[in-house]
Amino acid sequence: MKEYLKLNNDLLNSYSSTGILDLDKDKEATRKYFLENVNVKMRYYIDLEEKIKYLVAEGYYERDFLDMYPMEFIKKLFKIAYSYKFRFPSFMSASKFYESYAMKSRDGQEILEKYEDRITIISLYLAQGDQDLAERAVRSIMEAYQPATPTALNSGKKARGELVSCFKLTVDDTMNSIAENIGYCLELSRLGGGVGTLLTDLRPLGDPIKGILNRASGVMPVAKLLENSFSYSNQLGQRNGSGVVYLNIFHGDIEEFISSKKPNADEKIRLATLSTGVIIPSIFFELMKRDKDIILFSPYDIYREYGKRMSEISMTEMYYELLDNPNIRKLKRVNARKLYTEIKKTQFESGYPFEVFDDNVNENHALKGLGRVKMSNLCTEILQVQSTSEITDMDQPNEYGLDVSCNLGSIDIHRATKSENFEELITTGMQLLTNVSLMTNIKNVPSVAKANKLMHSVGLGVMNLHGHLVQSNILYGSPESIEFVDYFMEALNYYSLQASMQIAKDKGETFYRYEESEYANGRYFDSYITKEDKEPSATVKEALGNVPIITATMWQELKEQVAEHGVFNAYRLAVAPTGSISYIRSSTASLAPCTERVEIRDYADSRTIYPMPFLNNDNRHLYVEAYEVDPYKLIDLYVAAQKHVDQGISMTLYVTDRWTTEQLAKVYIYAWMKGIKTVYYVRQRLQTLEECVSCSI
Amino acid sequence: MLNLKQYEAVNWNKPTSDLAKVFWDQQWKQMWQPEEIAVSKDIKQWKDFEHQDTYKKVFGGLTLLDTVQTNIGMNEIAKYNNDLQEKAVLTVFGSFEAIHAKSYSYIFTTLCNNDEIDAVFEWVKKNEFLQYKANRISEIYLAIKENDDESLWKAMFASVMLESFLFYSGFFYPLYLGGQGTLRNSAEVISLILRDESIHGVAIGFFAQNIFRKFSQEKQDELKVWGYELLLDLYQNEMKYTEDIYAETGLSPEVKAYVRFNANKALMNLGLDTMFPEEEVNPIVMNGIRNEGSTYDFFSQKGSTYALAKVQPITDETFNFDFLKK
Repeated sequence: MKEYLKLNNDLLNSYSSTGILDLDKDKEATRKYFLENVNVKMRYYIDLEEKIKYLVAEGYYERDFLDMYPMEFIKKLFKIAYSYKFRFPSFMSASKFYESYAMKSRDGQEILEKYEDRITIISLYLAQGDQDLAERAVRSIMEAYQPATPTALNSGKKARGELVSCFKLTVDDTMNSIAENIGYCLELSRLGGGVGTLLTDLRPLGDPIKGILNRASGVMPVAKLLENSFSYSNQLGQRNGSGVVYLNIFHGDIEEFISSKKPNADEKIRLATLSTGVIIPSIFFELMKRDKDIILFSPYDIYREYGKRMSEISMTEMYYELLDNPNIRKLKRVNARKLYTEIKKTQFESGYPFEVFDDNVNENHALKGLGRVKMSNLCTEILQVQSTSEITDMDQPNEYGLDVSCNLGSIDIHRATKSENFEELITTGMQLLTNVSLMTNIKNVPSVAKANKLMHSVGLGVMNLHGHLVQSNILYGSPESIEFVDYFMEALNYYSLQASMQIAKDKGETFYRYEESEYANGRYFDSYITKEDKEPSATVKEALGNVPIITATMWQELKEQVAEHGVFNAYRLAVAPTGSISYIRSSTASLAPCTERVEIRDYADSRTIYPMPFLNNDNRHLYVEAYEVDPYKLIDLYVAAQKHVDQGISMTLYVTDRWTTEQLAKVYIYAWMKGIKTVYYVRQRLQTLEECVSCSI
Repeated sequence: MLNLKQYEAVNWNKPTSDLAKVFWDQQWKQMWQPEEIAVSKDIKQWKDFEHQDTYKKVFGGLTLLDTVQTNIGMNEIAKYNNDLQEKAVLTVFGSFEAIHAKSYSYIFTTLCNNDEIDAVFEWVKKNEFLQYKANRISEIYLAIKENDDESLWKAMFASVMLESFLFYSGFFYPLYLGGQGTLRNSAEVISLILRDESIHGVAIGFFAQNIFRKFSQEKQDELKVWGYELLLDLYQNEMKYTEDIYAETGLSPEVKAYVRFNANKALMNLGLDTMFPEEEVNPIVMNGIRNEGSTYDFFSQKGSTYALAKVQPITDETFNFDFLKK
């Protein structure tokens, strides 16, 4: 048996039996891991030059990007990286890096790079010859900026996947479009991406085909086809492809769609591995509040009558119009409360579906002049405008619309507050993300390639909020924590927009149809310019560290600069769930509270015990576990962040099995009322029997 | 109406057994099906796995125990237990035992070919230690008499031995491997089975304690002696069984420690004093039986943490948030 795994497991074991943390066990596990597993496998090089030459000659590193720099500069950059004297803070971070991220020889026997090497290569690769940027990149990544997994994993490698991982596609109501999109899904899944697909525009089960009723099979068979495509196509077997399908709650097939995630659903319609998400317009909540029935519609009728797809109209605005129009069939009448209870039930049992609050998304959409946001992605943080491609017969040219690829990166909140220059950190992050977008060309999915070329969308997010709050002696969900999030995210928004404006200025170019955006007409800045400047409380001020407080005057200045130069990135911010990437940095995930102080993490094929960062026997009480956080306060915290994020935030809700479907519904309704845009998983902790018996005996 | 036996209907509105409803609810909340776990993802590792023989025998042995528990154990105990609610709970437990027995077959079907599977089932019939424990336990089950608390208590004792003690020489291996990233999905199935078995052990142990209390001190002492003797007998057999199947892996000492740990646990479920001194058990295996549910990951396996929902209708009150303004 591997000694280090035993030591790592010992930590949890003694913690659960005695309640005392023995962190030395984890340190010892890390040390043993290096001795037994890393040091012996590490390839030895005479010096840096030999290392790089070897890795290029053997076809591990690409040559072109290294040729853009003089060797002296490359050496200097490596030196900077090593000057940080980085040490892996936990067994989890070390093993995660060496098992999943570090480059290994083709037979898997030798380790070819260390942590610092990987970071320097990422920096050199993404800076594309810009020495100033490369240097700032190394510093930022060593300190507080983390590129998303595909970028961190693939940068600089000769045999590599794509730098981006997240895609959204829209399917049109034609066989051509369905077939074309299944092809795209295979392609994108092969590249290791998570793919979101919108099914709202497909006609439901029993609809007419060529005017003959009862011919269409509806959305479920298409979802099944997609599920099979994703399981077939995986990244060289490294991980299974993943996908999510979204459907509007007013769509005729919604009931089957919801049931498809129930564990006991019929195998023919059950979606075992495909995720689901429901688009919910505000009118649904209003009808539910008044205990009304809702009417389900067919996108086929809507298109024939109005020349628009179901996803292209606002259901909230059009609902009564559709009801009154005799040419629109009323497919079914369903009680709103019953339907929503059914959704809550499925969420308890499977965690799905995700929910997207249609009107919260589209009312607060900086690009509302360009069109509607119709769906989200696999982690519900990407929210961008899309337009459907016209896929024609093979002898005709297709007319491509806009779909989405998004490249992500995250700021480690704790380390950002210590960063000497917050502005530079964010600017560097934005420049690196922008370069990823410029270097990406998903040529086999033209609608994605086209949108990327025109929009340069990125998604900068955050991680390690809970870790930082613990370090700052602030309780998760307290008024101070919410205040902190508000100030921090505002600063992030401000500097990311400033950076995007600066890129537009330098390049003399803005994103496509910038003129129609809320940035161009200035409305985006209204709430910021009219706000009343106030001072944060002493605790929050200390927690903010070096993060500047943004005043109304600063926003006014930025508004003027934006008016002059425009903005380069159509979308800038999105807070992803940051799973494995936060483990390497020994951070807590995203904005979320930790789920357990000492977590068991089953990732793909290994089980690792992960004590939360900075956790010790004295601050344990601050690491309140997610299931004990008041859900309303958790939502308030996300609301504070959402105000400053142009796209979305992956927000998971945590329930115990004592909850009822009604309590869960209430929390969702609250989230909708407060302007939350999306809800990701519902995670449930099943009480163990010991707890059960002990509280009732 | 003369001379007819009077049947009574189970009335769940009037509790007749303290925790029957708790156990019932908990068991149903944990509803699962083997097909939910993608054991096929283990196939690649299985092909290069060194100790296939041990692994197959471990599962063969577990299948037999669960078969005995379904066909004889739960049925017999349920038949002679006079509390109608406890009877119902035991019947439900029996169904879950059937799911368990089937789920081993599901793993076999996924990983092995038909000849190999047949060979394992042949081995089960021939292995003396395995047959010994099956026989020993079944005898006690089959000896329950109508309206006789003593034989019923003995059967419950035997059942707890089986659920909380004898299974664990087998559970050890998948947990040990799964914790190290080997054959993780099969281990996931085992952890779901464990989650059920731990309720069965606690529940039947609890029912047994209620009966035990009614005995005279003298009877109690007599039964205790009987119990410890049975345990010792089973324990000695279990040591030989462990040596037999784990021989090629070198894991026997660790498995034995784990078996002793669980023997103590079985005794505690029955409200009796433990028998073996405390000793260290491999922490990887210990973490495999924590059933709080590990962190869910959509790129990986299904998490074992989701369960049935408590449904309650949405009302006007659902839209009232006044409680937040205070």
